[in-house]
Amino acid sequence: MTWDVVVIGGGNAGLVAAIAARQRGRRVLLLERAGAAMRGGNTRHTRNARCASAEYPADELWADLRGVGPPGPLARLTVERSAEVPDWMTAHGVRWQRPLAGTLHLGRTNRFFLGGGKALVNTYHRSAAALGVEVRYGACVTDLAVDGPGGTEVVLDGGERLGARAVVCASGGFEANLDWLRRYWGEAADGFLVRGCRENDGRVLAALLARGAATAGQERGFHCVAIDARAPRFDGGIATRLDSIPFSVVVNADGRRFYDEGEDLWPKRYAIWGRNVAGQPGQVAYSLWDAKVNERFLPPMYGPATAPDLPALAGLLGLDPAAVAATVKEYNAAVRPGAFDPSRLDDCATEGLDPPKSHWALPLDTPPYYGIALRPGITFTYLGVRVDSAARVLDAGGRPLGSVFAAGEIMSGNILSSGYLAGFGVTIGHVWGRIAGEAAAS
Amino acid sequence: MTGELSAGALFAEAGRQLTVCNACRYCEGYCAVFPALELRRALTEGDITHLADLCHDCRACYTACMYAPPHEFAIDPPAVLSAVRRDTYDRYLPRLPAGRATTIAVTGLGALVILAACATAGGTSAAVPGSPYRVIGYPALLAAAGLAIAWGLAITGWAARRYWRDTGGRATLAGLAAAAGQAATLRNLRGGGADCAYPGDEPSPWRRRLHHLVAGGFGLCTASTVAAAVSQDVLGDPPPYPVLSVPVLLGVLGGAGLTAGCAGLLRLRSRSDPYRTDGLMSSRTRSLLLALLVLSVTGLLTLLLRGTVAFAPVLVIHLVAVTACFAIAPYTKFVHVIFRFLALVHDRSEAGLAD
Repeated sequence: MTWDVVVIGGGNAGLVAAIAARQRGRRVLLLERAGAAMRGGNTRHTRNARCASAEYPADELWADLRGVGPPGPLARLTVERSAEVPDWMTAHGVRWQRPLAGTLHLGRTNRFFLGGGKALVNTYHRSAAALGVEVRYGACVTDLAVDGPGGTEVVLDGGERLGARAVVCASGGFEANLDWLRRYWGEAADGFLVRGCRENDGRVLAALLARGAATAGQERGFHCVAIDARAPRFDGGIATRLDSIPFSVVVNADGRRFYDEGEDLWPKRYAIWGRNVAGQPGQVAYSLWDAKVNERFLPPMYGPATAPDLPALAGLLGLDPAAVAATVKEYNAAVRPGAFDPSRLDDCATEGLDPPKSHWALPLDTPPYYGIALRPGITFTYLGVRVDSAARVLDAGGRPLGSVFAAGEIMSGNILSSGYLAGFGVTIGHVWGRIAGEAAAS
Repeated sequence: MTGELSAGALFAEAGRQLTVCNACRYCEGYCAVFPALELRRALTEGDITHLADLCHDCRACYTACMYAPPHEFAIDPPAVLSAVRRDTYDRYLPRLPAGRATTIAVTGLGALVILAACATAGGTSAAVPGSPYRVIGYPALLAAAGLAIAWGLAITGWAARRYWRDTGGRATLAGLAAAAGQAATLRNLRGGGADCAYPGDEPSPWRRRLHHLVAGGFGLCTASTVAAAVSQDVLGDPPPYPVLSVPVLLGVLGGAGLTAGCAGLLRLRSRSDPYRTDGLMSSRTRSLLLALLVLSVTGLLTLLLRGTVAFAPVLVIHLVAVTACFAIAPYTKFVHVIFRFLALVHDRSEAGLAD
């Protein structure tokens, strides 16, 4: 039997594509690699969407996107189509809530869905089931035979072949594939953790590239934040993040500072710290703070190391106490008094220190002292397949690769380059899921 | 399973899970538990007890949790908080030897008391056909029911006092009013608008609706009793009352609501996931629902059969059920009313003071 549309991947991009194609009357099969309990891919870890609106004009979103790195060729289209996303979500059963605690600054630009990403996935599965989309769990796609007899064939790991008039690839990046990361990062990749789901090993992406798809995006492009070094290898998600950095002094394994912890408001800077830590020896860094600021940020999941003095804290974290003491002494001496205010770019800064701490710089002097080891935690990689404005996968000559479409993280390299803007991953999934689903249905 | 943990290990496990929740916070739109958690960093046993009783078991958080089993974080708030609630009930109320034997003994005792009271029948004047006082004497009835109720109130009052102290409860007038509003509307069984994931993983309003029937039915039955007392002792109009009278109408409505609500909740419970609720708590819920069902059905039967020969035995059964239910109420799930309301007062007062 030949399906009208087979969607590979059950995250938000895949679900939106399946629903959109089914609403155009097509017979749709969605292949979810995980079992039912862990369905939804990286969408399970999301909580909001950043979309243009009357309060947040497309031009402002565009400017914010440009602020985190040079946008890709399809970024402008994504920004413009983002305005349709919230209404589409509401129409498909999504409920909304006020911005979560600690995210009030995102209230104008980002819309938070009730219960977060797994609730979103459950809602879309309900909607898809009501429409008659078929779903197969535990379905691992190993290859695509493009333009075989009767369309494209999707090959499953058991050898089964599914015929499809059109295929939408929404199977994410390759962040859970350590060998693939090593190609671009070398041994440093061994020090990375994966915040996203363990299923995203890039099999479908690799198959598309082997079948002649052109690439889009940078090899080292990824959304990566600094997370607790004790987080699991895969699938740690939001709970492993750490918001202490602007309130702390961050040192590397040699006990030395390496980047301005107070460069900008945390929501604008949180996404560069994964890359910052990735560049340090051993891909590890240590955030150190004291009793004055301990309750200024969300409590860390595993709790911090605590000691009555800095040398003892350094010892607990496996750092050289003398090196840490010297760094903190130099830092404390450079701190100039100011009016401490975490809600704005305040005037608490260091003077004559390299690198500086430009805001929220307070001396580290009030016991007990706290510290946590950080590692880069990758959410998703950007290197993917090149697509056109109808989400058709293109080959190196710019010609469509049969009737294969792509949506979500697997094509995010057409939009993002190096930086990340909170909530934009869900926006990409929805905008391109819809474009791909509707195009695959026509 | 959480049901097999010692109290210390249970609080440690609840603390572990809630610390993950406090670092995540995706669920704060669902109910009062998560915003209350966010006001705390280091969780004491009192905090965990408070949060557990604030939990209304709507399970929305469980269905929304990306860390629920089989994820290695194994987050399951409905299950662990249900186990903590069992600990609360066992801690603050004197334990009785388990279940059926106790229920039989207390019911037997109630039966003896009521039958003894029946010996005093006719002691009240003007006991016309259809009047309960042809079966049982009014002073004896008052004494039997009054003693049972007084006993229940004393035990639960004592428990409430210690619970309030241990959970660090504080109350404001505004908090009390807000808590009463939330209790009456079952706001925390709404899943933030998404409704309860009960009995399965799909959202459904039925648990909340049926609970309203039970609570409303119980309230109307109480109002019916009060109305009858007023009619008799204030207005000097002894029973039986006609169908179109305040006590009978309230009683019929209340009895019907209670019957439908209890039967519905028992049916939902039989279809719900047993792993989401502590086993003993689940069986206590069943016992309470069955007891209320016996109360409401026998109550309705006394009305239906009051002109027949069956009236006397049915009335005795109903009165035995009332006496036994009130006597054992402090040991059943009935006390969730007390602990949950105290948790709501604490929460609404705290939220008001935090603003």
